[in-house]
Amino acid sequence: MRYGGEGRSRLLLIILIVTSLLLITLDLRGVKILDGVRSGTQNVLSPFQKAGSAVVSPFRNFFGDVTNLGQTRSEIEKLKADNAKLRNQLLQRKSADAELDQLKSVLDLAGRAGYKVLAARVISQGASTSFSQTVTIDAGTSSGVRPNMTVVSGEGLIGVVKESYSNSALIMLATDPDFKVGVRIAGTQQIGILSGRGSKRAELQLLDNQQVVKVGDVLLARGSTNNRPFVPGIPVGVISAVDNTAGSIAQTATVMLYPNFSALSVVSVVLSAGKNNPGDALVPAPPRPTPVPTVTIYATPSPSASTK
Amino acid sequence: MLARQFSISSLVFVIIFLIQESVVNQLRLPGGGFSLVLLIALTWAALSTPTVGALTGFISGFLMDLSQSSSGAMGHWTLLMILACYAVAFLGFGNDNVRGNPITNVFLVSAASVLTLVAYVITGFLLGVSVGSFSRVLITIFSNGVWALLLTPLILPVVTRLHRSLFGKQAHI
Repeated sequence: MRYGGEGRSRLLLIILIVTSLLLITLDLRGVKILDGVRSGTQNVLSPFQKAGSAVVSPFRNFFGDVTNLGQTRSEIEKLKADNAKLRNQLLQRKSADAELDQLKSVLDLAGRAGYKVLAARVISQGASTSFSQTVTIDAGTSSGVRPNMTVVSGEGLIGVVKESYSNSALIMLATDPDFKVGVRIAGTQQIGILSGRGSKRAELQLLDNQQVVKVGDVLLARGSTNNRPFVPGIPVGVISAVDNTAGSIAQTATVMLYPNFSALSVVSVVLSAGKNNPGDALVPAPPRPTPVPTVTIYATPSPSASTK
Repeated sequence: MLARQFSISSLVFVIIFLIQESVVNQLRLPGGGFSLVLLIALTWAALSTPTVGALTGFISGFLMDLSQSSSGAMGHWTLLMILACYAVAFLGFGNDNVRGNPITNVFLVSAASVLTLVAYVITGFLLGVSVGSFSRVLITIFSNGVWALLLTPLILPVVTRLHRSLFGKQAHI
């Protein structure tokens, strides 16, 4: 069927397309008013996100828990009648405990390095359709958070403050494809550039091709001028694979980042670094191997069997 | 009439945008989750005339651009959503196979959702937006397609009812 208002419809379509192209052009030319619109929107959204975070909190990890449901089915069946209320309280308590653990570990890390940090709660994660890796925290300019500040967890580098609003801030995670940080290898002090790849594995490109890196080498942030965007000495990750392709110009390696980015609830923004560079002091202790019990079996041949 | 439809659609999509940002983005869903704004906009467009479809695309795309997690330039999603919603509305308009058949509607919206994301990746590449590794992009697009197939049958009756109550049986200008 032909659509009656085709001419008018096409004219409107052209006007809308031209408007969107104008927006793209203005944004790419760095017109400030568009940034203002985005930050204004974030200021409006912030209270809704906080409220949403509080409501959604008990169900947040529901889909992950479903995969383990088979193992605990018998227990769930037994306790189903009377544990609904207790379970909800337990989930809240678990969530609080996890946050407390994260907070303790990050304060421990900051204390050893002499950093002044501000703890903040993660209130929103970026939509997957944007292909970027970001989170929003509930601290902003009113708490002293400014763009290009380092964000850490107890395990190591989380990312960097990309935008700060009055009561919230947008954090670009170290997994973001746009993320780059100068790093050095603890011990050898060899330097390189680490780039995010959209997952927990990042890519390291070494600047010096002469020295050899090996699996298990620990990477620390090299630090920036005036400690922005990166403070020195923060643990970043550990080398999990080395690319030894013959004839390559620069040596590259795959790095497993330390933090668990899928379970972020509390992070810390480094407001100011200490006077002294912590050097290799923040290198995490290697995991202790769990002792495996040795079972020794003594077999004594029975006298009756030997006589047969 | 057009101004009324524009303002009503705007209000509806602002509410959906708020739900997306404050609730859906909080849930750690498998495969990275879905975009409620994208799915409802495409469903809304499938029920509308091409003119209303283009306007729907403009409103929803502009809101998606306003999201702090949007990595592209301002106007990037606006442009793609105008084209996607117009195309969906154009395909569906006057075609009873689409309008009267929920299954066709579901597949149309799901396919449009996947194609819009593919278009975002391609145009993003031209505009210098980093979207991550190829495998990551494939997983995101595939999982969004699956989410669209699962959710569109659920949101279609609600959107159809809301659309009918606001614009009558068909959205004529």
